[in-house]
Amino acid sequence: MNPILNFIAQIDKQHLWDKKLELNRKEYLKVKGSIDTNLYFVVSGSLRIYVLEEFDENIIRFGYKDNFIAALDSFISEKPSDLYIQAIKKTQLKVNKKASFMAFIDSSTENTKIWQMMLGDLIYQQMERERDILTSSPLERYKRVLARSPQLFQEIPNKYIASYLRMTPETLSRLKKS
Amino acid sequence: MKIDSEKLIQDLVERTRININQVERFNTLSEELLNRKPGPDKWSILECIAHLNLYGDFYIPEITKRIAKSKTESTKTFKAGILDNYFAQTMLPKEKLNKMKTFNDKNPMGSFLDKTTLQRFLNQQEQLLDLLNMAGKIDLNKTKTAINSQLSTNQ
Repeated sequence: MNPILNFIAQIDKQHLWDKKLELNRKEYLKVKGSIDTNLYFVVSGSLRIYVLEEFDENIIRFGYKDNFIAALDSFISEKPSDLYIQAIKKTQLKVNKKASFMAFIDSSTENTKIWQMMLGDLIYQQMERERDILTSSPLERYKRVLARSPQLFQEIPNKYIASYLRMTPETLSRLKKS
Repeated sequence: MKIDSEKLIQDLVERTRININQVERFNTLSEELLNRKPGPDKWSILECIAHLNLYGDFYIPEITKRIAKSKTESTKTFKAGILDNYFAQTMLPKEKLNKMKTFNDKNPMGSFLDKTTLQRFLNQQEQLLDLLNMAGKIDLNKTKTAINSQLSTNQ
């Protein structure tokens, strides 16, 4: 079994989720200015994490089935953050408060190891994302993300993927055809 | 009533999130349903939202201006004045739903309304979140807005 799914099964078995949440399409889990230190596990559906600059929405990350998501800046700093988190379609989430999650992490060395592995993965993903943004050719950006996350293109509507790739939806559909 | 400024702002951000989500749910309903009135003298959903938009049209530029002009710094606590409490309390729904009158310029009845009314509301809420963000950096006790000269009164 995948160590992370095993990890989730442990949280399930010990009934450590603080609550369950359901969001309809376009409802917000978090808005700009709030402090949100929860960790969310996506049971079904999908979400986008973005910042709003003037009138531009810049998507930072997506979350879909079996992903953990959080307002990472607020989760770490416990301060307000600018992030918006919005459901793209009807979404079910399990919620862990930071305190209960960290207590679970500290409860066994095995959990601590898995958490360290997850943080390592996260740093690696952030590095990949940083390189996406530094890649000037739209075609290359598209190819990188397609190779890394083919599932993204199954789960997420084009207009949001285009925003994530910092290109117009028209450019994305042209690249997909060629 | 004394209250921690940061908690107050967090509470208002959270209320704004809930209001946005409610209006996103309205957005999934048909325009026919959104225009339906529960009675001849009652407002439809879109009329209620249009009414709030009229207040937003006044208060959002007003608050923006006052924050921009404020040279104060944030303080730990906020203490509402006697008048603030009075106006806030008269606007709260009572246990037995209190009927309110509104002034003509805040009465949306009869105007043709479509879903752009909801979009206007959502745009205002985004601006409101920005203002709440900035409100954390000024003294909430010393920065006052004008009040809209035509406040709703109890019937």
